[in-house]
Amino acid sequence: MLEANGVTIKFGGLVAVNHVNLKIRDKQITGLIGPNGAGKTTFFNCISGVYTPSEGTVIFDGRHIEGLRPYQICQAGISRTYQVINLFWKMTALENVLVGMHPRMKGGFLTDMFKTPAVRREEKEAKEKAYEWLKFVGLEKYANDPASSLPYGGQRLLEIVRGLASNCKILLLDEPAAGMNSGEKEEFDRLLQKILDMGVTILMIEHDMKLVMHICQYIYVLEYGKLLAEGVPEEVQNNPEVIRAYLGGED
Amino acid sequence: MDKTKKMNPLMLAVIAACIGLPFVFMGAPFILLILCYIEIYIIAVSGLDIVFGYCGQISLGHAAFYAIGAYGSVLLHKYYNVPVFFSMLIGAAIGAVIGAIVAYTCSNLVFHFLSLATQAVGEIVYILISHSPGNITGNFVGMYTDSVSIFGFKLDNQFKFYWFGLVCVLIFLALKQALINSRTGRAFMAIRENVKAADGMGIDVRMYKVKAFAMSAFYTAFAGALVTHMTKYASPDSFLYKQSVMFLTMLLFGGTGSLWGPIVGSISVLVINESLRDLQNLQMLVFGVLMLIVIIAIPGGIYGTAKEYYDNLKAKKSAGKTDAGTAVSEKKGV
Ligand SMILES: Nc1ncnc2c1ncn2[C@@H]1O[C@H](COP(=O)(O)OP(=O)(O)OP(=O)(O)O)[C@@H](O)[C@H]1O
Ligand SMILES: [Mg+2]
Repeated sequence: MLEANGVTIKFGGLVAVNHVNLKIRDKQITGLIGPNGAGKTTFFNCISGVYTPSEGTVIFDGRHIEGLRPYQICQAGISRTYQVINLFWKMTALENVLVGMHPRMKGGFLTDMFKTPAVRREEKEAKEKAYEWLKFVGLEKYANDPASSLPYGGQRLLEIVRGLASNCKILLLDEPAAGMNSGEKEEFDRLLQKILDMGVTILMIEHDMKLVMHICQYIYVLEYGKLLAEGVPEEVQNNPEVIRAYLGGED
Repeated sequence: MDKTKKMNPLMLAVIAACIGLPFVFMGAPFILLILCYIEIYIIAVSGLDIVFGYCGQISLGHAAFYAIGAYGSVLLHKYYNVPVFFSMLIGAAIGAVIGAIVAYTCSNLVFHFLSLATQAVGEIVYILISHSPGNITGNFVGMYTDSVSIFGFKLDNQFKFYWFGLVCVLIFLALKQALINSRTGRAFMAIRENVKAADGMGIDVRMYKVKAFAMSAFYTAFAGALVTHMTKYASPDSFLYKQSVMFLTMLLFGGTGSLWGPIVGSISVLVINESLRDLQNLQMLVFGVLMLIVIIAIPGGIYGTAKEYYDNLKAKKSAGKTDAGTAVSEKKGV
């Protein structure tokens, strides 16, 4: 479904991502792990259009997407969340989800301004759907509260559901469980399963090994920008290189 | 539900004032003139609110659009005999096109640079109208023009003009509200709140900035056309940099990103400005002081602060009732 071939990203002299080949399988959850500074977020930024790779290609559904702008990539069907939460803070939770639905809504400038019947209908349906999405992650009671007033875990969930609301085919999650307590993490594990059941493919960066090993079907390990290992959880767990990287590193 | 019930008496008072005031001051042309100016400023400042309040893009050059609407309409009427009402609409449309071009070229500029760029646009337009090719604008002397006429009915005094202005205000505000509560309006706000995330959510940031600027410019340009055909005279004096500052002061003073902010701001700043007429030379100082007051004492503007106060009161009440102390903020910590 998504294929990165020889992706390289350089910041001046620093090679943050170095010839990475990675394949995300349809309707599965793929993990991307590695020590701090390994280049995971940078790789995400490349897939989602924030950076253009210095070398290599990214192919999504048979189409080259490297070099497209982020909004184009989102419109193509790849949504994401951010390591540092990036919500629309002063907008309500419901509005945040409605913005997430932007690519699949049709209202244009003039039709919005003159509220044509089609726009009214779409708007009404969108609001109902957005409320459903909030319910999906259990945030419906915050529907009319500004995003900034949600508890931290709720903000993470809101960001995820905002991404999902675009009806994306692939969801990129950058450390979604960071800051969650163990109870929340278990709940989050179940949520990921529900998202998979909807037919959404996931690529997830996560430091919590328990979560990653439990839910991911396939795992890629990055270190210093290079692919260190890949495989199913058991393979990766027992890979001596990976053990060295993690024990030698800070984790 | 609760809210609409509570707002009703206030709403009625506003409606009564809108209808009653012109009759009360029928014999006081100066007050009528002020009322008409308030209408015009409400439209102009609501326009600025779209681009600044909702889309988060600063403009210190809205006097340019005010001028384009005014001069566009006057020139079309004078040289091409376009009937005044249509000339106003075309003038406003020209303003919108220029606004779109400015936004398209400036779409990558961040706050400070955008304020400089828009200021430059203001200066360029000012120079064009005061040093026009072939003296078509009458340069510093200015030029006279006709009053608005609707189907042959001339709005040749302030009392008549007031009602026309009122209809315009209602239409412009209604359209603004419709747009704000839509996909487009949410895209504007998303850009204001977080450009990076807006881009990531599939919003073509550049196109939406262009739309916001174009609509904003249309409003302010139409207001410019209104003012010229009300006073039946256009001269560069009305389109100086300080006019842009006045718009911004009104918006900040009233409160950004709302229906009522521009209304409250236009009324209060205009009244303050008029009551300090003797200090005409110190106008910029007055605006500066007003802005300082807003920034230091009432960051949300008059309306924003009042609303926050009211909302807090309501929240406290309902929290006291249900004791739902769980739903409070933990704020983004990490
Ligand atoms: N915009 C940038 N300019 C220069 N260097 C950058 C930039 N972004 C990231 N880097 C560098 O690239 C390397 C990879 O960073 P990245 O954020 O991708 O790591 P990461 O794997 O996501 O780490 P973490 O687990 O801490 O989030 C780091 O050395 C970082 O300092
Ligand atoms: Mg990272």
